[in-house]
Amino acid sequence: MYRKALTALQRITLRLDVAVNRIYPSDWNPLYYTGGLANLFLFILVLSGIFIFFYYVPSLTGAHASVAYLTELVPYGGLIRGIHRYAADAFIVAALLHLFRNWFTDRYLFSRDSPWISGMFLLIFGGFVGATGYILVWDDRALAVLGLFDDLLRAIPAVGDWLAGLLLGGRGVSEGTLPRILLLHVGPASFLYVLLWWHYVRLRHPKVWPPATWVLVSLGLVTLLAAVIPAVSGIPAQPGTRPETMPLDVFFLLPFWLAGLLPPGLVVALVAVTLGAGFVIPYLGREEPREMGVRHAGVAQVIDGNCTGCELCYYDCPYNAIVMVPSPHPGLSRAAASRKLLAVVIDSRCVECGICIGACPFEALELPGLLEADVTRRVQEAVAVAETVRA
Amino acid sequence: MNTQAATARGAGAPKIVGFVCDWAVATSDLVDAAGRVLAHPSVVLIRIPCSGFIRPGWLEDALRAGADGVFVVGCPYGDCLNREGNYLMRERIDQLQRRLQRRKVPAERLQMLAHGLHDREAFLADVAAMIERLQALGPGAGATGPARRAAAAGAPAEEGGA
Repeated sequence: MYRKALTALQRITLRLDVAVNRIYPSDWNPLYYTGGLANLFLFILVLSGIFIFFYYVPSLTGAHASVAYLTELVPYGGLIRGIHRYAADAFIVAALLHLFRNWFTDRYLFSRDSPWISGMFLLIFGGFVGATGYILVWDDRALAVLGLFDDLLRAIPAVGDWLAGLLLGGRGVSEGTLPRILLLHVGPASFLYVLLWWHYVRLRHPKVWPPATWVLVSLGLVTLLAAVIPAVSGIPAQPGTRPETMPLDVFFLLPFWLAGLLPPGLVVALVAVTLGAGFVIPYLGREEPREMGVRHAGVAQVIDGNCTGCELCYYDCPYNAIVMVPSPHPGLSRAAASRKLLAVVIDSRCVECGICIGACPFEALELPGLLEADVTRRVQEAVAVAETVRA
Repeated sequence: MNTQAATARGAGAPKIVGFVCDWAVATSDLVDAAGRVLAHPSVVLIRIPCSGFIRPGWLEDALRAGADGVFVVGCPYGDCLNREGNYLMRERIDQLQRRLQRRKVPAERLQMLAHGLHDREAFLADVAAMIERLQALGPGAGATGPARRAAAAGAPAEEGGA
């Protein structure tokens, strides 16, 4: 069931790629740059966020007024606030596209679980940052979100009450609340960059930035949206009251909207199950290992005697799985006799792609499941069976 | 077998060995048990874990062993499952083409293709185009002269570092 669904979704994803590739050269396909686009939007968010931070006053009486001052009186303040809002929406869309794309195209297999797990944390913290951002505006929606946030936290078994008091500054809304929310907005946002380091650490040349054209298009898009549909606040929050309805925001506030409909305990359980399932995805492959054939040829092995320490495999490995260490002894072949370095494969990073085998001109690397001798034999067989006369 | 092959090739289709990334175009229902493409029995496919797995020496070996042309199929550029395999292979094939051109082996005998899992039609069209180009070139005498073939048969391991 799961496998069939994934196969169908993979087919849809790849068909979409083919359609987009007809419009753009494949090097420019925006669907190949969803991660880079998310990173770009995060960068826009940081820059516009720093600007907004200079004007923001985290107090019960000053918050709404300071946002209104920023929007109406500061030159381009409204525009930058709008850019902050729409870049956040675009960030979460790009990040989710990135998640689904890598899920449906099997890019979580073998040692790629590390970027997947860090990606799940990025999603959780990113969503949290977005939700706290809505509270900082301190209008009626902010109060509704804060109330639901309090409900959700308290619905967490055992530690809920303690956690709500810790994060929101005691029971109910107080002067301590908004500074804490501000910290919960800026702190996790900064922490996203620590998580991004984890996300990229095993990649050689990660594509962290989309092509220049898409950078300009993205910038133009959020600016245009901010100008055409300005981001606005609702009426100022009245602490003590509880707004009946709130405008729905599909990008960040879906769990809060659910919390308005369902019991908070159920929503907490739903969110926990969804996220838990997300963390398990890389360990539930679409195929059994034995079905994978040459795609599961085993971790690359260095043939010690042939390695010359030339570093070609080290430069080509896309996952930084090969490190060069000082050679403990000379190699056996003539080319390897005077080597200074030796290549070592870090098993826990290898994805069994065999790119290092193609990079090595000295026959010093092999995939255990598909040796050079196997390939040579298959080439000989292929030439022998090729039918040169058309039937 | 050599003379037979030579006369047969004079009349028939060129022998082509294709290395196909197992994440790229799906060929299970395009080939027979021996790996021959049903529509073009002179083309034999070998599945590999990633286009970047191919050592350029193996492509040379295939030409030396009697193939008139060799191609490697990777995923669409930008979409390599292993991130960079197809770009790396494209560079290696460019370099090998230049190196072989100095030995008067035309670049058309080596080709890098990029097709996604479901792009069978585009893949078959590219293969047909390659067959046509190789037919115009004639048999692969440049790469498969008797001296070279004898050398390759005698000591294949020596050529790995070429």
